[in-house]
Amino acid sequence: MQIPAILPAVADSNSTDILALANSPVLWACAIGVFLVIIVQSVIYMKAARVAAPHIGMSQAELKTSFRAGAISALGPSLAVVLVAVALLTIFGTPAVLVRIGLIGSVSYETAAAAIAAKTAGAELGGPTYTQAVFGLALAAMSLGGAMWMIATLILTPLLKRGDSALRKVNPAIMLVVPGAAMVAAFMVLGIGELPKSWLHVVAFVSSAAIMTILMVVAKRVNKPWIKEWALGIAIILALAITYAATRL
Amino acid sequence: MSNATEIHQALGAFDKTTSRWGRITMIIGLFFSLAAPAYLVFFAGLDIELSGIITAFAALAAVFGVIWIVEPLTYFPILGASSMYQAFMIGNISNKLLPAAMIAQSTIGVKPGTRKGELASVAAICGAATVHLASLFIFVGLLGTWLVSVIPVDIIQTVQFYILPTVMGAVVVQAIVSQKAPRSAVIALVVSVIVVFFAQLYKPFGLFSTAVAVIATAVLAWVFRDRKTLGTPEDVPVDATPEGPVY
Repeated sequence: MQIPAILPAVADSNSTDILALANSPVLWACAIGVFLVIIVQSVIYMKAARVAAPHIGMSQAELKTSFRAGAISALGPSLAVVLVAVALLTIFGTPAVLVRIGLIGSVSYETAAAAIAAKTAGAELGGPTYTQAVFGLALAAMSLGGAMWMIATLILTPLLKRGDSALRKVNPAIMLVVPGAAMVAAFMVLGIGELPKSWLHVVAFVSSAAIMTILMVVAKRVNKPWIKEWALGIAIILALAITYAATRL
Repeated sequence: MSNATEIHQALGAFDKTTSRWGRITMIIGLFFSLAAPAYLVFFAGLDIELSGIITAFAALAAVFGVIWIVEPLTYFPILGASSMYQAFMIGNISNKLLPAAMIAQSTIGVKPGTRKGELASVAAICGAATVHLASLFIFVGLLGTWLVSVIPVDIIQTVQFYILPTVMGAVVVQAIVSQKAPRSAVIALVVSVIVVFFAQLYKPFGLFSTAVAVIATAVLAWVFRDRKTLGTPEDVPVDATPEGPVY
């Protein structure tokens, strides 16, 4: 599993050796491509901001302070994302984890998307049915789903900027109720759907939910926002540890 | 008012550069993100049917279709046009980019929604992106494979078998807390239990179970919404955005 891994001579649809395929150089190249694009974009944006700033009475020092404030405040959340990403490496391989979970998407949507995609092929993430072909399907679905967010952004941003868009007149109550309910339901049904599989699945789900609840309550009680940042990573790692202990019983 | 024209021109140039290059870079990012699965599907010699991908995508659209459209609508007023192209490529918007922008604005004492505030948030997102890319590259890209290689096989197997219920357990709680909509949460729970029960009885239903649960919950949550606080559009606070890291 060196970087870059050796290109598999012929991929095997039925092999469960996901990482042989998931760490292939082509996927690495695409992941690095996304990294570079974001770097280029940031450089262009910073330059544009530096040019515009003096004209609106903003000093270069203020701009620098903003950059630094953003960088420092991202430290915690970024390391929290790293923790979750490492936990998912064996499922999706490094390049896919970097792009889908680290960048463009987020762990909740991407894991849900991969699970839904695998289900349409009668398979599950991880385990004996998770073959290279299922991984390919899951990555395709995650990427297409992520693409829809980007395409929506590309189409909607200019429309919203014009300000006369009918989109702004959508009933805000619908906007407030429906997406939130849809999101909770998606995660809920995916989680509860795991429960009938085995008592260990129940242990994993319940312990993770319980740890998260405790962390949320504690974060509120002691008013420490950093706990919320780290909660997802901590809950996943601890719940996996509990589940691992349970498998040894 | 030559001063006003100068400001207008400078900001016009900024908007032009960022929206032009924002779009170009986002389209290239889109290309790279789709090139990876395209390689697997078409060139890697895997046995993946196009119809299978369409089925998977349709299942996904039924579940997340609304959110694809609503998220950009939700974040536009907060981020401003130029940062939209940054945010939806860098990802992890609410747990990382929004806090970064807000902290930057309060550090230099400017208000969100002003032009100064917009520049501050652009700079803050650039700063956040720098830290994020660096930490991902070092800890996941370079050290990740090594970390996984030193972890014993049976632990890795536990991760592979139980990752989905583990992630979903925590994420469900997080989603419920961040949405602050207890009615929707109860409806989602009841609907999910019923749907999962039916999927157990009649296996082929399992394919549609996620979509059915999501659509049913969305409809029921709307029908049974709290009409006192959500009765009329005017009552809804404009800045009522979810605070949690789920989005």
